[in-house]
This record gives sequence, structure tokens and C-alpha cells, in this order.
Amino acid sequence: MKKDLKKVRNIGISAHIDSGKTTLTERILFYTQRIHAIHEVRGKDGVGATMDSMELEKERGITIQSAATYCSWKDHAINIIDTPGHVDFTIEVERALRVLDGAVLILCSVGGVQSQSITVNRQMTRYKVPRIAFINKCDRTGANPYRVTQQLRDKLQLNAVMLQMPIGLESDLEGMVDLVTMKAVYFDGEQGDKIRIEEIPAELMDEAQAKREELMDAVSMFSDELMEKMLEEEEIPEEMIHEAIRRGTLALELTPVMMGSAYKNKGVQVLLDAVNSYLPCPTDVENTALDLDKEEAEISVTNDSEDPLVALAFKLEDGRYGQLTYIRTYQGTIQKGDTIINTRTGKKAKVGRLVRMHADDMEEIDGAGAGDIVALFGIDCASGDSFCHPGVNLSMSSMHVPAPVISLAINPVDNKAQINMSKALNRFTKEDPTFKTFVDHETNETIISGMGELHLEVYIERMKREYKADVEVGAPQVAYRETITQQADFDYTHKKQTGGSGQYGRVAGFLEPLEEGEYEFVDKIVGGVIPREFISSCDKGFQRSLAKGTLIGAPITGVRATINDGSYHAVDSSDVAFQTASIGAFRQGYAKANPVIMEPVMKVAVEGPSEFQGAIMGSLNQRRGVIIGTFEEGNYTVVEAEMPLAEMFGYSTTLRSLTQGKAEFTMEFATYKQVPRSVADELVKAYEDQKKDA
Amino acid sequence: MGYEPLVQQNPLRVLNMSRENNQMGLVMARAGLGKTALLVQIALDAILRGKRVIHVSIGESIEKTKSWYDDILQVILQEHTVTRPHELIDMVAQHRMIMTFKEAAFNRSRLEERLNDLVLQDIFRPNCLIVDGFDFDKADRSDLEDIKNLLESMNMQAWFSAISHREDERVSPTGVPAPCHEIDDLFDMVVLLKPQSNATIQLDIIRNSGEQVEGGKSMNLDPTTMMVQEG
Repeated sequence: MKKDLKKVRNIGISAHIDSGKTTLTERILFYTQRIHAIHEVRGKDGVGATMDSMELEKERGITIQSAATYCSWKDHAINIIDTPGHVDFTIEVERALRVLDGAVLILCSVGGVQSQSITVNRQMTRYKVPRIAFINKCDRTGANPYRVTQQLRDKLQLNAVMLQMPIGLESDLEGMVDLVTMKAVYFDGEQGDKIRIEEIPAELMDEAQAKREELMDAVSMFSDELMEKMLEEEEIPEEMIHEAIRRGTLALELTPVMMGSAYKNKGVQVLLDAVNSYLPCPTDVENTALDLDKEEAEISVTNDSEDPLVALAFKLEDGRYGQLTYIRTYQGTIQKGDTIINTRTGKKAKVGRLVRMHADDMEEIDGAGAGDIVALFGIDCASGDSFCHPGVNLSMSSMHVPAPVISLAINPVDNKAQINMSKALNRFTKEDPTFKTFVDHETNETIISGMGELHLEVYIERMKREYKADVEVGAPQVAYRETITQQADFDYTHKKQTGGSGQYGRVAGFLEPLEEGEYEFVDKIVGGVIPREFISSCDKGFQRSLAKGTLIGAPITGVRATINDGSYHAVDSSDVAFQTASIGAFRQGYAKANPVIMEPVMKVAVEGPSEFQGAIMGSLNQRRGVIIGTFEEGNYTVVEAEMPLAEMFGYSTTLRSLTQGKAEFTMEFATYKQVPRSVADELVKAYEDQKKDA
Repeated sequence: MGYEPLVQQNPLRVLNMSRENNQMGLVMARAGLGKTALLVQIALDAILRGKRVIHVSIGESIEKTKSWYDDILQVILQEHTVTRPHELIDMVAQHRMIMTFKEAAFNRSRLEERLNDLVLQDIFRPNCLIVDGFDFDKADRSDLEDIKNLLESMNMQAWFSAISHREDERVSPTGVPAPCHEIDDLFDMVVLLKPQSNATIQLDIIRNSGEQVEGGKSMNLDPTTMMVQEG
């Protein structure tokens, strides 16, 4: 079972929508012989590409779920994590980035670096993922890999270096010049599977020499030996160049640029060679876990298959074979029949079936060593959970989960739909930590919330298709919050002493704004003026008050409540009495603490032809946006702004009509900010009207 | 508003510089001494006086430029008590806009076009223009005169940064080093940054309100924030 970790690659493929990610993945699987026929994403045969396993994705031609697929290329094992392309699914992208060691960043040779690529690149930088760029669609009209390479430098600040140059472009694309070997590479046969290597065409020689020089200049920074040979004008062995490129790539200081056309079957095999040569193996990357026995102290995982198991469940899927849990092992070996512990819940589980996944097929295996990605059957867990062998209590660092910013009400149309809906919701919330659901007790409606309109739309569609749960959908609501802006004292006595057993409790202290975190409770009671057993009742009372603010009924966050005085009654004080007193105390303090309404603010990037720059900025300005800046890229301008989410509903329609459909935008949650006075007044008025009607 | 410490330690406020419209200022230093940080301080000073600033970054990204402001504000907020930090941060965001240009693409007509997009729709009316990364080695006098005319027509003040080189010893009669030694008369204010042995930065004023400053008035600045050193 021992496998050479040096020959394992866990890679992701990330890209802007429509740069051909799914097609590329499909071709990779074809050339590595995991699939036996090529289907197009929007092909005529109606089968669709293999990686998009969900029907919905097939219909829309986009990839939502990140399925993991195993293949092998020239004695290297490659696990491909197909990452989603839309920012609304950022958590999926980020979770995928967590488990992979390297990535291929696909760019369209016509569209170049678009706003989406900027977001994905930022995420990759955050998770320190070494990457190779692949400029796809070189067969398209207007293809210009040179311009895209320059954009990688300008827009993404990558030290992008071309390892190839195209032979012909657009419909004349024939192949590539490999600048490392200085040979021309052609892809023959109907499916490009016959590689023909020849001398570089004479008319391209001068350019190839110049590009080669550029390449050598860049890579010589990463190898002293190579630099020496260059200075002495000696022959430089190919292997030394590969080694230098690899070193630069792993240090995130160099981004090799490859190119081709997946659709026309050109360049894919060479890209796979580059994955093997330049992207990291599991031991090249440092991964840290949190030691749960030592207050979450960070500890490096060993990558050693002999050590006790540490694995992360990064993806759940409800397939036709039951629940499937994708895991990445960081150290140790997982084997059939092993007992493993979920370190979040402490629950033990026995490993039953263990499989390697290809998008829709699977292969049974007996075990998997460190650094591998496999799937388990019949394990109950949520995604993000860690599994260890008994005796080890580590958790792969808890992933940052952003709070949902948008919510909407859903109502099942009939009884059957009701049952199916709850099944579906149960599944979705386990799969996706940014998707939340609860029942509003006042309206008795089920509310779902998430990271954007499209995010919720996709789940509603999935509910209908996969679970046959037809639901009526309400209008989307922005997730407002309330918070306080100044310190305020409270001193409240709850007294009820008419007939029966009485209630008595007095709570005094103060509320103050909390910069980071949602809520803190500080107990500064001395001399037992509130007995020990009732302190937690006060805490509970405050927490109950947080659920609903008095301004617009939104949840309250960012409050520290300190109690420093109080009194009790020997007979009439109780848990309930102190909870009620604390609720009263909170309300009293809250009113004096200058409460305000907070709204989610999104980071928005709008990209369009420069002639529309004025119109784009005008449209953002009208929507209470703060424009951070603008930059120009040829004839395109990008405007970056911070926009209140509440103002962004229907923006895509506005933008389309303003720019004749030539501009597009992306949106990502940035922060919560205080709502301006005038808007706050309207919100409060609407809330009060609604209360009157109820 | 509780921003007094920032105002009191802002080098421009102390020098009582940069108050007039239609003036051009120049910050010169060798690479890596804090030209951009000083420009950010100039911008902050203008913003605190209720002015609107366009920060033109040539050859830099929006993100990087914004992080200059964020980082300096963060250091300032750590070192000084400001009653409402969020208000300060919001105020800076609302009074500042970043415009990036590629090296080759910055000239009067492009700048004018992009400024007009803002001004004509009343989206943002700048009073002050910060230009970081302008290549004085490649520009000639007429390029700068063009820009100066534009600023005058839009009633704006502007501050440029320029890199001087150790090995280039040319200097104008008024003491402005190359590459700006032949165009120094276009600028109403010129300051020079020099490293000090005690890890602070010395700011020399060469010219103020169009007058040459005799005897080199100077002060010491904190190298991270470019604020006047206390004590």
C-alpha cells in the first residue's frame, strides 16, 4: 500500500465561467484513459461532460459542485478537484483550495483575465496555492496569449513566464513551440492523441529565441547552478530548467504559462506533463492541524503514511449510492475496517466501503495513504469535520465561514413537498456551511439564507429536481443586523409578587460595543449579590434578547454585557425570574446605547468597455455605492466599488441595458456597515407598519 | 471630531503648506524612502480638511494603492486615540478615489477624459490630485505643462512624486535634483526626503508657495507613517 508521495498531485482547476474548464477536465480524463469518449459540455449527444454530475449543472453549462476525480499520467497519480466558477459559491472554492496542493488557472485567450479570475487568484494567494496558468481557446477569433500573459503580470501581479509560444493562432492554430526543449509540438489524429515533435519552423525561430531568453532570465533566479552555466554560456540541461521552474512555482514566485485549445485537443498532454513537473506533491506543502487537547495549538501534519490518521472531510454528496464523504488524508493510512473518530463530535465510526471517485463511476479500494483523496460510504458527518485514528485528537484548522447575507422564505406547495423539502434542507446544510435554514416562528415560514441570489436559486432548483420538493419562493431579504455604538448602564428589577409563588430578581451593569465577535458576557458580581446558580440565567436572558433587536427586529451582534450588581430574594428568586430581569435590563440598556442598523456591504467589480465607464460609475453612485477606484486595460475599464447588498437586487438587468449587455460584474461579501440615517428611518418605519398589520 | 493628533502631526499642516488651489507640489526622494507614504499623508491632510482626493497610481493596482491607505490608517489608529475610528475610515473612503494607469497610458487627454466621467455626472468632484509613479525621466516639459493647464482649468491642486538617483548629481540652481532640475519652476512646492542615521526620515523643504526656502527648513518624520516625530 506504500505509495511514493512524490508522485501524487492533488490539483484544482479554477477559472472564469466559460473559459472552458469543464472541457479541459474532460480532455484530461480522456487522455489519462479514465473515460473512453469525449462529450461536449453543451454537446449534441446530450450526454454532457463527465465532471458536471448534477443535472442542473448540465442544463446551465456551469459547474457547481466540486467533485474529485482520480487519474494517472506517466506514473503520477493525479486527483483533480473540480472547483466551481461562480463567486456565490466561494465557500466551495475555498474549501477545495484547502485540500489541494496546486492548481491550474485557466484563462480564455480572448477574454483574458476577467474579474472572476482576479477573485480566484486572490483566494489562491490566500491559501498559498502554487499554480500554472493555461491559456485556453487559442483557436478562437481574437486569441492573443501574449496579451493574456501581460495581463497576468499587470492585473494579478504574477511573475508570469511563457513556457510555450503558439504556432499559428485562431483557426490556424497548429501546435506550440516548447521553449524548454526548443522543439515544435503538434497534436495529430482526430482526438489529438498522436503527438508529433519536430524542429521549430524557420519563420518562428527568431521569436522563439527571444522568448526562450525571457524564460531563461526568469528561471535563472531560482537556480545558482543554472545562472552559472548561463554566464559561462554552457549547454544547459533540460532537467535543470525544469527543476528551476519547479522551485520558482513552489515558492509562488513564478507562474509558468502554458497554452492550447482543449476543445481542439491541443496542448492538454503537455499541460499534464507540466502538472507532474512543476506542481507540488503533498510533502512539498506545509499543512497544519489544530491540537484539540492543547487549546487548538497549531501542529504540522507529517504526511507519513505510518503515523496515525488525520483526514479532513471536505465534501459530502448524496448520490445514487447513498451518502458519500470525500476526504483528504494528511497523515497516516485509512483502511477498510479501521475505527476512526470524528474529532468535532467525538463519535466513532467504522470505515466501510472506500472508493476512488471518477465523476460518475467509482473504483473500490482497500486503503489510502497520506496525501490521498478518496471517498467513504456511510459515514455521518458534516463537511469540514476531521477524522483521526483513536488516540489522536487533531482538527484540520477550522475554516472561516462567512455569515449569510441574504435570505428568503420558502413554502412547500403540498404535504409531500414539505417532507422532501426538509430532507433536502438537511442535506444542503450539512454540505454547505454558508447555507443556513430556520423556521420563523412568527410567520411559520421556512427561511433559507446564503451568500447571494444565485446561491439560493441553485439550491431551490436542486430541491425541485433532486428531491421533487416544489416550493413557492418569497422575495429575497437582506440580512440586516443591529448593534450598539456606545456604552450604557442598566439597572432593572423584575418583581411579581401577586398571588402564588412570586418572582424577584434585580440585575445591574452595562452594555458596551464589542469590536470583534458577536457577544460576550462578563460576570463582575462580588459578594454574592446575585447567587452563583443564577449567573448563567442572566447570560441566558441576554442571549435571548440578542435574537431580535428593537429597531427592526434584526439579530443584535457586537455587544459585551457586564453585570456588576444586583439583588435576590430568598424565596422568590429563580432561574426564570433572573432571565426575565436580564431581558428587561438588556432592553433598558439597549435603548440608551444608541443602537444602529447594520447592512451587508459587497465588494463589487464591474468590467466593461471604456466608453461605458461614466454610465457604470453613475449606476453605482446612484445605489449608495462608494467607488474605490477604476483601472483601464486596453479598451476595458474595471470599476471597483463597495455597495450595499440591498441596492444590488436587479443590478444585472440595469447594467445590461446601460451597456448593451457588454459589461459584467462580480460581487463578494466584504463587511457589515452602518446604514445611513435616512435609510434606517425607512427601515424602522416599514418594520413598525408591518408590526401594526400583524 | 477627535482627529487632532493626526492633524497636529501631519507634516503639511505643521509646515502650513498645500493650502492653495491650483498649486503643484513635488515630493522627491531616492527609491524606497517613503514617497508614497508621504503622498498618502498629503491626501489624508486634504481629506481631513473636507477636500476630495483622486489618487492616480501609475503602474500599480487599485488593491495595492488602497492597502497603502489602509496600512497607514491602521498604524495611526493604533498609536493615537481617535473617538470614532470607523467614521474616519469611512470618511477617507468617501473622499478618496483611486485611478490606475499603465505606464504608457498616462497623459493629459486620458486623465481629462476619466476625470470628466466623474465630474460631469457629479459623481466625484476632486479638489486634489495625487500622482504617484509619474516617470519624469521620460516626460518632457510640455507634458507637464499640459497637465498643469488641465489642473488650473479644473481648479485642482496636485502633488507628484519623483525618484532621484544617487549617481545623478545634476541639480537646479534652487536645489531641485534630477530628473526634475529643469522643470522645477513648474512646481510651487518641492520637498525632499532623506534618510537619517537614527532611522527617521528628514524632510527638507526646498520651495514653498513658489518661493525658494533659504537655509533648508526641515523636520524629522516617522518612517512608517510619515508623521512628524514627537519630542
